[in-house]
Amino acid sequence: MIHGPKGLQDMNISSVIVIPHPERIEAVRSQLAKLAGVEVAAVSPEGKIIVTLESEGDRETIQMYESISLMDGVMSASMVYHQKEDEPEVEISLAA
Amino acid sequence: MTEVKMTRRDFIKTNAVAAAAATAGMSVPGVALAQARGGDGVRWDKGVCRYCGTGCGVLVGTKEGKIVATQGDPDCPVNSGLNCVKGYFLAKIQYGQDRLTRPLLRMKDGKFDKNGEFTPISWDQAFDIMAEKVKATMKNPDQGPFGVSMFGSGQWTIWEGYAANKLMKAGFRSNSIDPNARHCMASAVFAFIRTFGADEPMGVYDDIEHADAFALWGSNMAEMHPILWSRITNRRLTAKHVKIHVLSTFGHRSCELADNELIFNPQSDLAIANYICNYIIQTGAVNKDFVAKNVTFHKGVTDIGYGLRPNHPLEQAAGNNGYPGADGKPKGNPNAFSPTTYDEFAKFVSEYTLDKAHQISGVPKDKLEALAKIYADPKIKVMSTWTMGMNQHTRGTWINNMLYNIHLLVGKISEPGNSPFSLTGQPSACGTAREVGTFAHRLPADMVIMNPAHREAAEKIWKVPAGTISDRIGYHAVQQSRMLKDGKIGFYWTSTTNNMQAGPNVNQEIYPGWRNPKAFVVVSDVYPTVSAMSADLILPCAMWMEKEGAFGNAERRGQFWRQQVKAPGECRSDLWQYIEFSKRFKTDEVWPAELLDKNPQYKGKTLYEVLYANGQVNMFPKEEAAKVNAHAWAGYTNEETEAFGYYVQKGLFEEYRRFGTGKAKDLGEFDHYHRVRGLRWPVVNGKETLWRYREGYDPYVKAGEGIKFYGNPDGKARIFALPYQDPPEKPDNEYNLWLCTGRVLEHWHSGSMTRRVPELYKSFPDAVIWIHPKDAEKRGIKRNDIVKVATRRGEIELRAETKGRNKMPEGLVFVPFFDEHRLVNKLILDATCPISKETDYKKNACKVWKA
Repeated sequence: MIHGPKGLQDMNISSVIVIPHPERIEAVRSQLAKLAGVEVAAVSPEGKIIVTLESEGDRETIQMYESISLMDGVMSASMVYHQKEDEPEVEISLAA
Repeated sequence: MTEVKMTRRDFIKTNAVAAAAATAGMSVPGVALAQARGGDGVRWDKGVCRYCGTGCGVLVGTKEGKIVATQGDPDCPVNSGLNCVKGYFLAKIQYGQDRLTRPLLRMKDGKFDKNGEFTPISWDQAFDIMAEKVKATMKNPDQGPFGVSMFGSGQWTIWEGYAANKLMKAGFRSNSIDPNARHCMASAVFAFIRTFGADEPMGVYDDIEHADAFALWGSNMAEMHPILWSRITNRRLTAKHVKIHVLSTFGHRSCELADNELIFNPQSDLAIANYICNYIIQTGAVNKDFVAKNVTFHKGVTDIGYGLRPNHPLEQAAGNNGYPGADGKPKGNPNAFSPTTYDEFAKFVSEYTLDKAHQISGVPKDKLEALAKIYADPKIKVMSTWTMGMNQHTRGTWINNMLYNIHLLVGKISEPGNSPFSLTGQPSACGTAREVGTFAHRLPADMVIMNPAHREAAEKIWKVPAGTISDRIGYHAVQQSRMLKDGKIGFYWTSTTNNMQAGPNVNQEIYPGWRNPKAFVVVSDVYPTVSAMSADLILPCAMWMEKEGAFGNAERRGQFWRQQVKAPGECRSDLWQYIEFSKRFKTDEVWPAELLDKNPQYKGKTLYEVLYANGQVNMFPKEEAAKVNAHAWAGYTNEETEAFGYYVQKGLFEEYRRFGTGKAKDLGEFDHYHRVRGLRWPVVNGKETLWRYREGYDPYVKAGEGIKFYGNPDGKARIFALPYQDPPEKPDNEYNLWLCTGRVLEHWHSGSMTRRVPELYKSFPDAVIWIHPKDAEKRGIKRNDIVKVATRRGEIELRAETKGRNKMPEGLVFVPFFDEHRLVNKLILDATCPISKETDYKKNACKVWKA
């Protein structure tokens, strides 16, 4: 979980755990999917939702985070991971 | 082995999802945490968040002498890697553009002048004038030693608070030191002492994962304690039977998850608590065995006043406020109580029927009953949480006591999930303000200056002569403002706090006090806050990761961090400031001749030699810092160790630890904390304690004892018969709305740090007033109009908000206090709980009109 911030404002990638109201899991999930830059990465059987946020700077990240945490049916939204990247499209090779 | 090609973007996203999945305890197919990326030159170390009392662990990334990144610490049990929005931007708080970096004195023609301009001076010059003012104050017959006064902080590190407490109480022989925690949880403290004879919660955050029901009594955890709230929401989501009850005077974010939302009239929580006790008794739900074995019953005095100035008509009329009466003797004692019986208590609360509770509170009867039932039902484990709604209350000590009454009647306490839990708002309100005892009446480890045996114990540990510590209670926070205005305080030093913004009745009490020519006011801070700009001398401080530190959070968890970076310019830690300043005084200048005549070996010594170079604080040589922290990195040291030539933090902590060892306040060894993610006291044989007062968890409860509230001599907790009483001010024909103040998610308290993070500033730049649409309409106000809000103390101007996160009931408005340009505390009456001396910031009468 060690990440290396670059200090540049090119690309911010974060993940957020969203806990919806137990009766509004599907509604929250589809609302989240509609937000630009937000992707629903996973939903647990109980309804916990992991989303990623992609933006061009801290301010945008915060705006996205705020619109999620203030969204109807969202009970809590917590930041987990955040990394800045100045060369997001560079291809890398990983051993799998 | 195959090779997978992907973009860096996808690689990072995979990592981000994997981290979240690990934190949420989820498995996401096809996603595994990628190899940690090394070689980017960032050094990571454990740290603690700088903001609220939750005490989240953060990993701090340092590169080239600068904090470049932070993230939630996955190994810290408090937050398991989660971060709130404020914590997310922690890396930026040290780097605001207007950081103070030099001492600044108000000067004119090369000399100090109270009306001069702030002019850079050296630390030497700063200490020169401070020492001169301290000595003059002590000699002034109107002022004396107690006229040397300090206002500290629940954001002080443990050793800073300890060094300050010692300098004041043993060095200057002044008990006029008080923390800003007085404004925040003094009511919680006094109630803990009254009920249990010992401060701080019996439970821990682990209660969240064991509770079947939660009741929030005046706490908007969704915004103020977001990470604890995420633990509660997670519990609610994963255990379907769990229910949440939220009591508040207005609707807020936490209400959205509530199964039972109780919006009550201000002050009526007192009636609701008594109704619940009555319900428990009437329905036969009292846990009789528990009560017989573990509880005694008492009746508190009433007619205790409102902590206003003695000449206020309400205080003239009060019979038990403890103020001097016509004969000069104190009028009773607001904290007094006398024994009563279970039957008497039952009779006392019997008048708080459902009808009466409904009538006083305005809460629908079915909602009140639903709340009472969770406490009464023996099968439901209940966690009650509260913060400022209960503490900032003219009957704050009472309402805290009354909540314990409920838990004690049903025996729902001191076991996993059954937990009355007082939350704190500052990172070391518990660790420093309370445990170190930086209040005007306290000493470390729950000891008090009024008790001769406690003074003697402190004098022995501190190696100062018998009789050094005064037996008189010093000036508490609100009284300090009054004494400044009245010319009784000549030297006033505040640190890590912003009382000109956060204190009550700014215009009528605090500002005139600070600007009184009879007072010299020193503000140690990191940014030019409203307080700094109102001072005579500003001292630039090192903050957070620029010093080695220790905080104690709301669940008794002490957490340490290492100094990561150097502070800019001439910034120095508060610790350095107190210790270095002590070199300016000889005992002969500050102690009375009789004390020195009896103890001639102290003659001619500096306070530095007496208090710090005392063979204890200076016992660990410089090299010890590298040795203790070798597991983190080689050659570790810190500023104070370099400056004084010994490992100051370890010496202070090891001396401090002696106060609580063997007294159920045991702290761990200094070195231990540097290796782990915190320890919850009492720490006995290196092992932390989760649930206090219960056999099997608490090492101080012997086999066969079951439960023992050992803070009280009889081992029992106290239930108090206390009534509902009106607040000192209520809306009337002219001032026809309730005004409540508080906080918002994005900003921490007075905004000194968060307003310097551009992203947080922009997401909530200016304070607004939340008002019910009908109240707005009646006054010809539309959403976003500029309005004026006035109380009998003053007025401010701000934008009206009728929608959004807070939903006002008719008759009540809410204004947050983070905005230095809209100082809502100008409007607040300095009325306090007469027992705890904590101000009620929640209940003032105001009027609102279109500007």
